[in-house]
Amino acid sequence: MAKERKETGKSGKSAGSDRPKGSARATPVPAGKPPAAKPSKQNTQRFYGSLGLVALVGAVFIAYQMNRPKAGPTTIDPNTPLPKAEGYVVGNPAAPVQVIEFADFECPACANFVTITEPDVRKRLVETGQISLRFIDFPLPIHRNTWEASNAAACANEQGKFWEMHDAIFANQDRWSGVTTTRPKPELQRLAKEVGLDEGKWEDCYDEKKYNLNIVANQKEGERRLVSQTPTFIIGSKMLPGSLSYDTFKAYVDTALAAVKPAADSAQPASK
Amino acid sequence: MTKRMLLALLAMAGVAIAAYLTLYKTGAIGELACTVGSCETVNTSKWSMLAGMPVAAWGLAYYVLLLAVALAGVQERWSESLAVSRALLVLTVWGVLFSGWLTYLELFVIHAICVWCVTSAVLVTVMCVVSAIEYREQVAVHR
Repeated sequence: MAKERKETGKSGKSAGSDRPKGSARATPVPAGKPPAAKPSKQNTQRFYGSLGLVALVGAVFIAYQMNRPKAGPTTIDPNTPLPKAEGYVVGNPAAPVQVIEFADFECPACANFVTITEPDVRKRLVETGQISLRFIDFPLPIHRNTWEASNAAACANEQGKFWEMHDAIFANQDRWSGVTTTRPKPELQRLAKEVGLDEGKWEDCYDEKKYNLNIVANQKEGERRLVSQTPTFIIGSKMLPGSLSYDTFKAYVDTALAAVKPAADSAQPASK
Repeated sequence: MTKRMLLALLAMAGVAIAAYLTLYKTGAIGELACTVGSCETVNTSKWSMLAGMPVAAWGLAYYVLLLAVALAGVQERWSESLAVSRALLVLTVWGVLFSGWLTYLELFVIHAICVWCVTSAVLVTVMCVVSAIEYREQVAVHR
């Protein structure tokens, strides 16, 4: 350090001016060691020019980014309705009990319900007209690919095949979920083909994220109803978190049906 | 052109990148020019702040310091100073370690890549290599 200070203390002199007296201009290093290259005046000028150029390019780029023209106004139909949280219904929409399911396509408990309980629910309760089942997306932030799956299902709905796609997505959850892949599209596309969708149309819709706002609306509906986990079922006046066995599901449906019947009976004489 | 001049040029480019990201973080720039990766995800994540200041602002201070040291080293009175070479090496090694940590966060924690941050990491790595070579040369001269 002392040597360094000695070097720097002699301002205005050349870098070699801290050499011992009497050895002016002599090389300070032992023979065979090259002295540090010193830039010529022309080199120094070129350097400062380049430095200024880099600074200028940076400044111009930043100035352009700060004053970049914003997108101009566009014309839209002022009557365009905001998407509603409608979800997807199977069964008679006017069935006496209308069950709502909030579910996440990537949630294992939801897949469990779809593969084990739901076939019985659809056959014995939906097809007999006792209930309708409304599926509402509730994508959870912990699931990486769930939005892609909701998007894939919404695009299948456009072609009238939501439930076919819904079943295929849940049945193949392990093949496209965020645990398996960061790119779920090829697998979802394969499922779209499998359920007989027009692939080109489906892909355009999927890439465009055409129904993203509908999915957002569905999710917000779940938040509004304080849904905290998936699946969550609303059967009559009960909100039931977690997957259900068929017997439990049926018991809640029966209770809801029983509550609906007296109300319908008492309403009948009044209408006469 | 000497290696210190090259270091100063690279540091100036670093100043421009860090200033750009700092201005974005302070709201002076609406959106980032980011054709590759997810710059906004990275620059709005909780990892974009450090000790109450944007990481980009720390980067700006770092590159300004590096530029100042490199420019001092270009001046005739310090052109053979080993202390300047040492300072440049320490600063750039520190920069590589810090950039390595940020890149790790991008890849494994945030799961998004910011092309400006990657450019900065590449810059600082090149500067580290250049300053290591320059330091070796200076040590040889002073031996």
